[in-house]
Amino acid sequence: MALVTIKRNSPQHIAVRVLGVLLVVIAVLWVPTKMTTGNIDSMTNALALVIAASALNLVIGYTGLISIGHSAFFGIGSYATGVLVSKYGWGHGWSMIFGALLAFVFGFIVALPALRIKGIYLALVTLAVAVLFPTMMKWPKLEWLTNGARGISGIRYEELPSLPFLGELKGRDDRTVFFYWYAIMLVIITVLVCRGIVKSRMGRALIAIRDNEIGAEVMGVNLATTKTLVFGVSAALTSLAGSLSVARTGVVTADGANLTLIGSIVFLVVMVVGGAATITGPIIGALVYVWVDNYTRTASASGEGLIGWLFDWSAVSPASIILSVALIVLMFVAPDGVFGLVRRLARRVVVIK
Amino acid sequence: MDLLKVDGVTVEFGGIVALSGLTFNVQQGDICGLIGPNGAGKTTVFNVLSRIYEPTQGSVTFDGVDLLGVEAHDIAKLGIGRTFQNLALFPSMSLLENVMVGAHSKGRVGFVRAITRFGVRREDRQLRETSMALLEAFGLAQLAAHPAAGLPFGTLKRVEIARALAAKPKFVLLDEPASGLTHSEVDELADTLVRVRSEFNLTMLLVEHHMSMVMKVSDKIVVMEFGRKIAEGTPAEVRDNPEVIRAYLGTDA
Ligand SMILES: Nc1ncnc2c1ncn2[C@@H]1O[C@H](COP(=O)(O)OP(=O)(O)OP(=O)(O)O)[C@@H](O)[C@H]1O
Ligand SMILES: [Mg+2]
Repeated sequence: MALVTIKRNSPQHIAVRVLGVLLVVIAVLWVPTKMTTGNIDSMTNALALVIAASALNLVIGYTGLISIGHSAFFGIGSYATGVLVSKYGWGHGWSMIFGALLAFVFGFIVALPALRIKGIYLALVTLAVAVLFPTMMKWPKLEWLTNGARGISGIRYEELPSLPFLGELKGRDDRTVFFYWYAIMLVIITVLVCRGIVKSRMGRALIAIRDNEIGAEVMGVNLATTKTLVFGVSAALTSLAGSLSVARTGVVTADGANLTLIGSIVFLVVMVVGGAATITGPIIGALVYVWVDNYTRTASASGEGLIGWLFDWSAVSPASIILSVALIVLMFVAPDGVFGLVRRLARRVVVIK
Repeated sequence: MDLLKVDGVTVEFGGIVALSGLTFNVQQGDICGLIGPNGAGKTTVFNVLSRIYEPTQGSVTFDGVDLLGVEAHDIAKLGIGRTFQNLALFPSMSLLENVMVGAHSKGRVGFVRAITRFGVRREDRQLRETSMALLEAFGLAQLAAHPAAGLPFGTLKRVEIARALAAKPKFVLLDEPASGLTHSEVDELADTLVRVRSEFNLTMLLVEHHMSMVMKVSDKIVVMEFGRKIAEGTPAEVRDNPEVIRAYLGTDA
């Protein structure tokens, strides 16, 4: 039994929610004002993962369609921004919108097999997409567009529009702080889109498809349009993360981690570790991922402590190894992820009725 | 007036003939019982009517519409609801949400409106009220927030009926709604079905192995065996039909 019971929409409930929002706002403002430049950059990186994992959550977490091809949609956004900004002089915003539209179309097409096949077979099709994408980008026949294996670098970034209340925050490092806010804006868009879909007739239809496809269809859910559209929306959101990352680093190569199969796996791990089929889960998952990534990277580089002893041989960050092990453990103790675990523990103290 | 006309419908699975030339009609406003021994093809009839199985021959007309030209997800829009013999609920959703999905075909909010939140709250509020009223009618209101997973089979059978009624159908197909219920609950269900029929102005096709219940509520009964119709008539006629007695009690009876 819970210690405290709060009625839904009672003053207490509203107070708790206002407090929650306030804490998030404080945290969001705290990062660019108080953190070091390097840490702000890590946060922006985490925010890109929030976008990709939230988008993937729509497809896997809510609809139950397995995709390990989302790195390709990340790549579409990356290349759209890279090519259009550096070669055709587009602004970042427009390149991002173009990338999202392109990714939507591709997502729609990739989902077509999902109308006939499921589970492991769909996973294999999306796996093929993930493997094909970097190869395509390195294809000599496309070199005029993609620069082949060299990739595109030196992509300029636009100045932060000089909004009065941001002037103060720009203080230390324009570029880093700019992209942090850029990322926050895109995260807000992503969360609003995901939340909007989930808390509606369409969101219930997605879960219905996941839980019982025949049941959903008999209730009138059009499986074909629902699956293809949610895949398209998810792909478009994922491409935003790609555009953001390219804007931040100024570089895009076909072998960039998030553009290859590794990226798909990272999005998946972030989603599952945080908590699938929740809005908050991917946000927590991404923060955990980037924190573990940074922590282990420094620890293994310095060779100190347990992490250092374990991983000093590893050239890359051992985060993916650690998180993979964490994932296995988590599947036993909390299949609903970190957020699910926290929520279950919180319900022992407070229940909202 | 005949609401449903099934004419010469044949369904085959590889070599197995699940339905062979099945023909029967259901009158508007009737409760039509559909009975027969295990494997007779009753559930197959339901799956033909909800466009899950494609017949190799025959035609089905519902309310003047050629049903075989309609896609499975548009069946609900025509006014046909159904329940499933082995349940097709959404286990992770609450009972309330399950019933809300039942009204999917009546809803208007698509992806664009969901994302822009245009009219979403209003649709959800109305839907929540009507769904809650349905749960109440089936004595499930206190379980509204409970996920469907983990509830007893008999309870879930009732949730399925509530869900099937959520879209305000003209015609409902009930596949063994009384399975998993105790004797008194079966009686209660029979009363509920008769009440719901007049309240919602429904026509029903009822598959059930509880003979006393079928005999009590049905206006007409169709009896099947091996994918064919072997008898048809009022409960009294069917009960005394030697073919039916033979099918149920074996060859010597
Ligand atoms: N999808 C399928 N694939 C192959 N055979 C099937 C399929 N569905 C039904 N059958 C076969 O068709 C016949 C009729 O099955 P059906 O489920 O319609 O019977 P039923 O009258 O509902 O029986 P019960 O009273 O046991 O529910 C059976 O022989 C069954 O094995
Ligand atoms: Mg059956």
